[in-house]
Amino acid sequence: MIPLSWFLYLSAVLFSIGLYGVLARKNAIAILLGVELMLNAVNINLVAFWRMGNLALMTGQVFAIIVFAVAAAEVAVGLSLVISVYRRHNTVIADELNLMKW
Amino acid sequence: MATETIVWLLPLPPLLAFFLIVLFTNKSKALSHSIGVGAALLSFVGSMVVFFRALSVEHFGEGEHIFASSIPWLPTGDTFLRVGVQIDPLSAVVLFFVAWTILMIFLYSVGYHNFGQPKGDHDHPGLPPHGATVTDAHGHKHTVLSVEPMYSRFFAFLGLFAAGMYTLVISDNLLTLFVGWEIMGLCSYLLIGFWYAKPSARNAAIKAFMTTRVGDVFMLLGLAYLYSATGTLSYREIFYNQEVLHHLAETSSHVFGLSAAGLIALLLFIGTIGKSAQWPLHIWLPDAMEGPTPVSAMIHAATMVSAGVYMVIRIFPLLTADWHGHDLTTAMSVVAFIGTFTAIFAATIAVAQNDIKKVLAYSTISQLGFMISALGMGAYIAAAFHLVTHAFFKALLFLGSGSVIHGMEHGVLHTGNHHVDPQDMWNMGGLRKKMPITFWTFLIGGFALSGFPLVTAGFWSKDEILADAFAHGHWAILITLSTAALLTAFYTMRQITLTFLGEPRTKEAEHAHETPWTMTLPLAVLAVFALGYGWVGIPEHFPGLGGLLPNWFHHFVGATLLEHPEAVEFSPIPLGISLLVALGGLTLGWLVYKDVKAGQPDPLQKPLGVLYPFLQNKWYFDEFYAFFVIKPMTWISEEFSYKWMDRQLIDGILHTVAQTALWIGSSLRNYFDKPIINELLGDKLGAYWTFQPAGRALSKAQTGRVQSYLIGAVAVFLLVAAALYLFIF
Amino acid sequence: MDFINTHLLSTILFFPVFAALVILFFPKEQVALIRWTALLSSLVPFGLTVWLWTMFDPQAAGFQFEEIYPWYEAIHSSFHLGIDGLSLSMVLLTTLLTPLALLASFSVQDKVKAYMMLFLFLETGMLGVFLAMDLLIFFVFWEIGLVPMYFLINQWGSPKGEREVWSPFGSYITSARNYASLKFMVYTMAGSLGLLLAVQMLGVLFQTYDLATLVAQWSAFDGTLFGMDASRVKVIAFWAFTIAFALKVPVWPFHTWLPDAHTEAPTAGSMILAGVLLKLGAYGFLRLVLPFYPVEAQQYAGWMAFLATMAIVFGAFASFGQTDFKRLVAYSSVNHMGFVLLGIAAAAKAIGTPDATIALNGAVLQMFNHGLSAAGMFFLVGVIYERAHTRDLDKFGGLFPIIPVYGGILIFTSMASLGLPGLNGFVSEFLVVRGSFPLLPVFTAVSMLGLLFTGAYILKGIRKVLHGPLNEHWAHGEHKLTDINLREILVMAPLMALILILGIYPMWLLDVINKAMLLLFS
Repeated sequence: MIPLSWFLYLSAVLFSIGLYGVLARKNAIAILLGVELMLNAVNINLVAFWRMGNLALMTGQVFAIIVFAVAAAEVAVGLSLVISVYRRHNTVIADELNLMKW
Repeated sequence: MATETIVWLLPLPPLLAFFLIVLFTNKSKALSHSIGVGAALLSFVGSMVVFFRALSVEHFGEGEHIFASSIPWLPTGDTFLRVGVQIDPLSAVVLFFVAWTILMIFLYSVGYHNFGQPKGDHDHPGLPPHGATVTDAHGHKHTVLSVEPMYSRFFAFLGLFAAGMYTLVISDNLLTLFVGWEIMGLCSYLLIGFWYAKPSARNAAIKAFMTTRVGDVFMLLGLAYLYSATGTLSYREIFYNQEVLHHLAETSSHVFGLSAAGLIALLLFIGTIGKSAQWPLHIWLPDAMEGPTPVSAMIHAATMVSAGVYMVIRIFPLLTADWHGHDLTTAMSVVAFIGTFTAIFAATIAVAQNDIKKVLAYSTISQLGFMISALGMGAYIAAAFHLVTHAFFKALLFLGSGSVIHGMEHGVLHTGNHHVDPQDMWNMGGLRKKMPITFWTFLIGGFALSGFPLVTAGFWSKDEILADAFAHGHWAILITLSTAALLTAFYTMRQITLTFLGEPRTKEAEHAHETPWTMTLPLAVLAVFALGYGWVGIPEHFPGLGGLLPNWFHHFVGATLLEHPEAVEFSPIPLGISLLVALGGLTLGWLVYKDVKAGQPDPLQKPLGVLYPFLQNKWYFDEFYAFFVIKPMTWISEEFSYKWMDRQLIDGILHTVAQTALWIGSSLRNYFDKPIINELLGDKLGAYWTFQPAGRALSKAQTGRVQSYLIGAVAVFLLVAAALYLFIF
Repeated sequence: MDFINTHLLSTILFFPVFAALVILFFPKEQVALIRWTALLSSLVPFGLTVWLWTMFDPQAAGFQFEEIYPWYEAIHSSFHLGIDGLSLSMVLLTTLLTPLALLASFSVQDKVKAYMMLFLFLETGMLGVFLAMDLLIFFVFWEIGLVPMYFLINQWGSPKGEREVWSPFGSYITSARNYASLKFMVYTMAGSLGLLLAVQMLGVLFQTYDLATLVAQWSAFDGTLFGMDASRVKVIAFWAFTIAFALKVPVWPFHTWLPDAHTEAPTAGSMILAGVLLKLGAYGFLRLVLPFYPVEAQQYAGWMAFLATMAIVFGAFASFGQTDFKRLVAYSSVNHMGFVLLGIAAAAKAIGTPDATIALNGAVLQMFNHGLSAAGMFFLVGVIYERAHTRDLDKFGGLFPIIPVYGGILIFTSMASLGLPGLNGFVSEFLVVRGSFPLLPVFTAVSMLGLLFTGAYILKGIRKVLHGPLNEHWAHGEHKLTDINLREILVMAPLMALILILGIYPMWLLDVINKAMLLLFS
């Protein structure tokens, strides 16, 4: 059986990539993609801990499903926001969207 | 059908007639009066069946020998208040006259309200009909009587009235008696105010309802007292039960030293003072003449005022519970005093009235005073007897006066002079030739009222009252009642003379006309009773006639009481007084008024002097009440209770509290919040010196770039994680 | 069916809210749809109540159809519903009057959706008070009822009225409906404060809010609390309860909110206000004050009777002094509810005796009867106000020939209000007088003055509106009055039928009340 640590490594890597994407990419869609990666990294953790722990407790799986749902909602809202921003400002580059600046 | 079932059903036909007419048939006059008269007829037939079955029962009234039936009505804790019907000898004789008079009044109303006549030219609902113009075959225009616009409604109300009276008569307890009593109060209100668009009728209706209600609330208290003292309101269980009566007589009420029985009887009696228009609550009854004449007959003879006396006859055992047959108890003296005083007081007023119906109204009050007075001195049978005979002849007189007015209205329409009051006796005269049936029947009624010897019913009953007063030595009562009887005969003859005898004093009287058969037939029927009913109650030892016929009334009605009342011994003295006052009064009346010409003042005006306007204005009682009762009450209502107490005192306190709270609030705002918090701490210390500069400096951190915020977030997270790692784990 | 059988009370209670939520999703232009939905859905609780009535067993002690759900476990409050004969009759009154009030509201044109929803919420609020078997739930529903009523008066009240606010600091004129709604709200809230404190004290003390348990434990309670004797604490708590309910009844001298609120409320609002809301106060006395504080109630029965008599007498006087038709009817409520309190005071004085039972029977029946006749009277005032746009009695006169059907109905309903034997008011007033007389003879005798003046103001109303010479203004042209229409007759018909039935044969209702009173107070 594959040990738990492998899953954790995979998850950590995935999470880091996601985090990097979020912080470094300028395209808003790419930032969203990064967020997705981070969420799924968490999912892997959850499922892995469930599989290795007490199989009768469904908490890990339930949480993973909740994360799916949240992710789906987040993408739907996020993408529509991006489209709306694009219509208004003709750009999806995060740096150029600085209306909130002091 | 079982007699009890018939008794239960008696009030039903008129009640149903009321609902039928109100809800469905009020558009059709013929249908409405058919339903009304038909219902009265049904109840009449039922009543007669019950009455004659009662006659055929041996020892009727004693012990179980009555018709009675009851059902549980109100749950009161573990027990029930039962209500039901009961016919004992007293209610049987009352039922007899009630059924007859009601039927006659229903029939009479058909003619009185001009059924079959054309619709009026300018008639409005709420006003008496003013006449209609018709064109005959020759093209001549005539003004004739027009039909009452609210014809159907009249029969509906009359039906409800009859239902109320039947309920009262058949009930076996004081509560349903009170129900019937109050329903009649409502009907009197509705019917006195039948022509509601006339302000006088409207006010008279309210006066009638309110004055009788004064009595009613005391009666309600009496009922509550009686019920709580005995646990029942049934006649049989209280008035036919020596134990209960004895107990009530022994218990003190702690009020004026009266026994419980005395106080309850007096409270109930106040109800009668209102209902039977005894002094000092008599004021409504003369005004009640504003209603159509059949209503006057209904109220004054067949139903309402009789109901009041009937109730006192009912509670007679209670009234006399602590009486030992000699000196009158306090309660009885009060009753006797009120009755006697009312008898003489109303008689004096009747002498000076000009309105044909007002004279009769005061004579009713006076005659009811006779009955009450009789009850006050313990003359049970005499009161009951006078109640019955009076109902017959007074119904006759009222219907007769209605017939006269009707005939006069005919004359008024003929001449077209609407300023002539068709009810003023001074406008009449000589009507005996124009209206013979009305004249003869009215004469019979008037003689009965005066107590014309031997042939009239009124003589026998009134004589019995005087005989009782004599036999028990109540001299003051005897003298007062005799004087009242003298006055009665006098004003009755005055009325007859002014109305029917002599020559017509106006053109209208010349053109008066006999009324249709629907009106004269009831007069004829009632006249029979006004003559004949006295024969059932002739005292046994009366010279000549005594013993020819048994004193049926005495034996029959006497059985209602636990101990049959003894007949008083015969004495020629009261008989002599009776004869003297009746004949003397009649002769005097005829002599004084026989030669009165048109435009001449009342011959009494001069000899009576200032007394005459005093009598004519009814001893100024209306004015007295207006000033001492109505005015203060209105002031208490409009000014004191509402404006002063509610609006100023109570609301004033509330508003003061509210404004104090507002004042505290605005003070806090103006003297603390605004200067100290807002300006000093907020604007000066806060905004100007501290927070504004700090804010400006910190605002540099807002780059507006989402990723730089995120980096900040990650950095903080890492720092916190590191700190946790270092310091906790 | 099984669900409804086991959840009958909560279905009755919450169906109006459910209907209101359904109405929320209707477009607000669909006025007819909203009205009919509200009306038809308010008939459901009525139908269920009738069904409940048939299944109710008046002989059984305690509460029936009980439902209990966990609600606020941390403070030991549970959602506990149940009924006995007392609450059943009040529930019947409420569910009967609400459809009639909704039918009466069909003439409301303004913001229909909000109006109907508020009305349905109001019904749930009132029903909740009668059904609650948990003190905290009772209080919650008690307060819930206020809010819709406040808005009904404030938003749909008569728009034109002005009210002078007089105080020693000076006076000013304000909008009458604002004034009235605020007075109603603040007054009742002020009364509820003491009630809330007392309720909390009981709840904390005994770790439960359940009525039956509290009654048993509280009457057995003996010891010290807040450094005071139990008896003194009980007296204070008694007054806290009493004042809260007295404000609602309302008892003299706390009654002045009532004429204002009644006068300014929309017609249906007045119907419910007089018909049901006033009964909440009297219900509070019967359900809480008498069982919780029998000793204190007995001690202060004389005072309660004094206030009741004042309400009867001065309510009648003030009513007679009015020129505003609606205010006249409003004061008549003070007068009639005085009899309820008189009966309660008499019962408090000698609880458990036959006289007390009769007085209680009378009081509860009077609550029901007043609900019918006052609702009818307010509706009739509303009918004529809608047509004439005035309530000033001096501006009417002689209207009987123009509006004969209305006139007949008005006289009928007035007579019920007056307490004419043969109609319902008499039975209850007689029972109250009969029950109170042996216990409080002087107060009963004095209150007869009020009974007398009941006649005076009722006749004044009829005289000024229907009788007398016709005011020609209303007979022709644009001001011509039209007679009562079919919808309005349909509102009155059930009321009139019940008035008559209860007057002739009150047994069916009184039997249930009587048994409930015997079970509760003996």
